[in-house]
Amino acid sequence: MSKIVRTVANQLILFVVIFGLYVIIQGHVTPGGGFQGGAIIASGAVLLIVASGSQEIKTWLRERRLSVVESSGALLFILLAFAGIGTVFFFNFLVGSRLFGGIPSVGPNPGDVWTGGVIPLMNLGVGLKVMAGLSAVVLALALFSGGEELEE
Amino acid sequence: MGALYIILPLALIACAVFVAVCRDLLYAVVVLAVLSLLLAFQFYLLKAPDVAIAEAGIGAAVTTAIFIICIRATERRE
Amino acid sequence: MRQFFGWLSLVVLMVFLVIGALFIMRPFGEPPSVMDDYIIDNAQEEAASNNVVAAVLFDYRGFDTLGEATVLFAAVTGALLVLRASHKKEET
Repeated sequence: MSKIVRTVANQLILFVVIFGLYVIIQGHVTPGGGFQGGAIIASGAVLLIVASGSQEIKTWLRERRLSVVESSGALLFILLAFAGIGTVFFFNFLVGSRLFGGIPSVGPNPGDVWTGGVIPLMNLGVGLKVMAGLSAVVLALALFSGGEELEE
Repeated sequence: MGALYIILPLALIACAVFVAVCRDLLYAVVVLAVLSLLLAFQFYLLKAPDVAIAEAGIGAAVTTAIFIICIRATERRE
Repeated sequence: MRQFFGWLSLVVLMVFLVIGALFIMRPFGEPPSVMDDYIIDNAQEEAASNNVVAAVLFDYRGFDTLGEATVLFAAVTGALLVLRASHKKEET
């Protein structure tokens, strides 16, 4: 792509990633969650790939590392699900404890991030998973598919 | 506000018909991205903001990029 | 002529099925169970989450999210497998 597109994409990627992290972290207070935030960050990665070409991205971002991140996100999710198996599978065992243990008052309230028990951590795991998975698929397609390169 | 509930589905149908009949695949993909954005707005009007965010992220960005990469590797004209 | 009557009977059957489904369907906004009332009333105490959608996704119906994660994992694994294999074949 042209120089203008590359510069704008390099400036814009910071805001896209910060907004995606915000959607992931606030997933249990506002609409959003792991899947949506991960999709937003993956769309930022797609913007970078389209703007500067896959050969340039290849020097610092490989789909092997992305698949490692994806597997670790899935592992975090399943381990958190197994951690509550003393009561039942997928038990929210962190409610009332020190970590994310606050309980909001019933009804409309000004939300608090420090609530939700195990839900924010699971949001983080699913967010890592979706982000790395979608970026890895698009990066692999851009690297390995034939045809001429997108950049001029 | 009430007119949006009529205009938006009609625009969705028009976009979908254009995508189905267009012979130039690049135009079809761009109109598909527009359709995803309109669909996200429709989800938001129907009070499903979660689905709207997911639709805008995946339908409008990632799917378009995948289709454009595939068109680049094959042919543009149908 | 026979073909025409075949298509006509198919269309009549489809219209009959659609109208029957319309009569069986529940009215818009009335879910078929009372589970949603329980979840809306108790999600803030039990799951400690303001966002009831997140509470349903990760607490009440965690198995569905596990299945979704499995589907995504399988999709990414398959895509990477196929693309890497085709890439290697082109190189050699």
